[in-house]
Amino acid sequence: MAEVKVKKETNISDPAEVESRIKELCQQFPHGITDQVIQNDMPHLEPQQRAMAINKLLSLGQLDLLRNSSGLLYRMKDMQSTSKMKGSDNQEKLVYQIIEDAGNKGIWSRDIRFKSNLPLTEINKILKNLESKKLIKAVKSVAASKKKVYMLYNLQPDRSVTGGAWYSDQDFESEFVEVLNQQCFKFLQSKAEAARDSKQSPMVQRNSSFATSHEVWKYICELGISKVDLSMDDIETILNTLIYDGKVEMTVIAAKEGTVGSVDGQMKLYRGVNPVIQPTGVVRTPCGLCPVFEDCHEGGEISPSNCIYMTEWLDF
Amino acid sequence: MTAQEVRLCGLLLQEHFGEVVAKVGTHLLKSGAQNLRTIIHETGISLDLVKKSLCVLVQHGTCVFSSGRKAPGSPTEYRTSCDRILRILRYPRYIYTAKTLYGDTGELIIEELLQRGDMTMSSTVKTVADRLTQNMEEGRSMDYSEVSSAFSKLVETHFLQRSTPATPAIPGTPAAPVSTAPPTPESFPDCYRVPHVTLIGRGKRRLSNEDGEDQRNAKKTKMDSETHGDEGIYWQVNFERFHLHFRDQAIISAVANKLDQTSSEIVRTMLRMSEVTTSPTATCTKPLSANEIFRSLPSSYNIPRPILDQYLTLLVDDPMEFVGKAGESGGGMYVVNLHKALANLARATLESVVQERFGSRSARIFRLLLRKRHLEQKQVEDFAMIPAKEAKDMLYTLLSQNLVQLQEIPKTPDYAPSRTFYLYTVNQLPTARMLLQNCYKTVANLIERRLFESKESKNKRTFSTGDIIESSFWSVGVTILTIVLFPCRLDSAENQVDETIFLLESYVNSTATS
Repeated sequence: MAEVKVKKETNISDPAEVESRIKELCQQFPHGITDQVIQNDMPHLEPQQRAMAINKLLSLGQLDLLRNSSGLLYRMKDMQSTSKMKGSDNQEKLVYQIIEDAGNKGIWSRDIRFKSNLPLTEINKILKNLESKKLIKAVKSVAASKKKVYMLYNLQPDRSVTGGAWYSDQDFESEFVEVLNQQCFKFLQSKAEAARDSKQSPMVQRNSSFATSHEVWKYICELGISKVDLSMDDIETILNTLIYDGKVEMTVIAAKEGTVGSVDGQMKLYRGVNPVIQPTGVVRTPCGLCPVFEDCHEGGEISPSNCIYMTEWLDF
Repeated sequence: MTAQEVRLCGLLLQEHFGEVVAKVGTHLLKSGAQNLRTIIHETGISLDLVKKSLCVLVQHGTCVFSSGRKAPGSPTEYRTSCDRILRILRYPRYIYTAKTLYGDTGELIIEELLQRGDMTMSSTVKTVADRLTQNMEEGRSMDYSEVSSAFSKLVETHFLQRSTPATPAIPGTPAAPVSTAPPTPESFPDCYRVPHVTLIGRGKRRLSNEDGEDQRNAKKTKMDSETHGDEGIYWQVNFERFHLHFRDQAIISAVANKLDQTSSEIVRTMLRMSEVTTSPTATCTKPLSANEIFRSLPSSYNIPRPILDQYLTLLVDDPMEFVGKAGESGGGMYVVNLHKALANLARATLESVVQERFGSRSARIFRLLLRKRHLEQKQVEDFAMIPAKEAKDMLYTLLSQNLVQLQEIPKTPDYAPSRTFYLYTVNQLPTARMLLQNCYKTVANLIERRLFESKESKNKRTFSTGDIIESSFWSVGVTILTIVLFPCRLDSAENQVDETIFLLESYVNSTATS
């Protein structure tokens, strides 16, 4: 009897074919495909088979499972990274993913433990493993010197971790900051003096004694005293310390977009200033600087009559 | 009335009036208003001496008396206040200011009035004329009219004022309703009116053979037979006016330091124009138009009008806000911000004290906290660019000296230290007050040291010829140093500290009234 050859359509009930079809779809849509897309493409596929195929691909590490606002997304995994993880088990993959997500700020081992719910011993083993494979690295944080954060091997650590331009190997470089401080101050002071000597009208004098932060930055770069590249923000922090020293004052003016050195339509101008008063009277006496001022009473061990600071001061 | 103030007042009274007056004065300061019997009983000094001391104190205006509080007709009570006694520290500055403004005549007038407390115009004029004549060459003498004119000028510019006329208390009659505050000299309309005085004559030179007699006479009040038409009108020095002058000087010198000479001249002109129109407690002077300022500038400063406008704009734009703009009429109305200027000067004083005592990095932290108000420790380290360890150390030192305060902001109601924000902050007014008390203590220490040195040197002062021959030139020189130089040095130090005291006091008082 002639069997009715029911030509079945290339029934993609063959799991391998299902998988390859899904992979093709993924490649078509590099941003990821939802379950809906797969269903539309293969409407006759039963949900079970679909699920099986997807799980297989996931376990093989060829698909990435992501979640977005509307549901689950499946994305083609980068071939390269899949080769990296060959030979690692799921736990390592999980830890690796957590570290990758932390970006360039890095993540602390305790946080990894929270996120992955793995016991501490496991975590440590995995971290050692990954480090030896040169997939991650440990960076010491400048804020807490005992804390180590982990990040991907090829990433540049963020400024908040290393401290930026002022820290070299976790040490705050105070001499460097001092030198920069003095150089900026000298620059502003000489500019102010030049303006004062020019003997023009007072408004012109004052305006020519101002320097924008951009000018100061250029001057410092040209001086070449810094091994590290300094940004304008760095120079502004140095100029702020000069303001707190009372040697410099700052104003902000509106500047046209596009003028050199303007940020968001504003420019910061700095100017060297003179102190308002001379050192006040009380500090010219020994009592004003005395470390035992509180203990001094007439008739006591420390008293004005037998004060050695006063004797020294009078003999001077 | 703090312990330091009382100690300083005691020392000042002792220096100027003697032990007994000092004892009575400090006793009154510590115990408030008391009547005569209580004073005698508690100080253990005889009636005679207490009466004389009270006379001296009243004469100089440091003590006021009023009828008793318990009931009308109860014995009069005497009260002193610290402020007036602390002015004694500033006498040299008053005299020096009078000298710069009105020459030797003015200087001597103020000196006489400060010494005597209050005097009539005629007696002042005569005494000053005599003193000036004494210093002039032979054959020349000082005319009374010159001295009178200097006196009138001092009154016109309000440096001298009439004392409050004393109302005699008649025992037995019910006291007239007395207001709680004693009447101030300004409440009398004639306060600054020079009486019509007939004073014709010249200063008398004291001849050398009359010296002995005159010494005795100088102590007694001069029993003059002539009357000059101003009996009962006594004049005293108006300390507030001098203080306004000192404040103006401080503002002008600050402007000169910060900007330049011309700007300070402009501010000086503005302050001069508002001398008599501004009340002592005003926040800023009355608005002056640029036209008026231009007209009143001293002729030696030949500034064209547009340049003056530029200077005024620069003064207004300065972050210190000495001068403010109050309107546009008349070419721009400008005021001098007095209270703001005082606050800025007080802030600069505090910063300078921190800088000298603890170093420039601590001063950086102090200024940072003054600007940013509240900061965490980490933020302080970041902004000031000081390594963490050193910043911590400096902050804790400042905290232990009470120059910096800690504000806790809890995250949880139980104030657990790990869950609380700790913010560092500087409060300018309480810190200024604390520094003011320290200044009082400093001056008291300097005075005590000076007294100690002079006591020491008294022991060394009696030389015999044998001593001088034997001892080396060096040791004699050193002894002379201790007698002469050290007290001078301590004296000038006291004056310097007094400048700080003045600034801080003005600042504290200005915040009290505003």
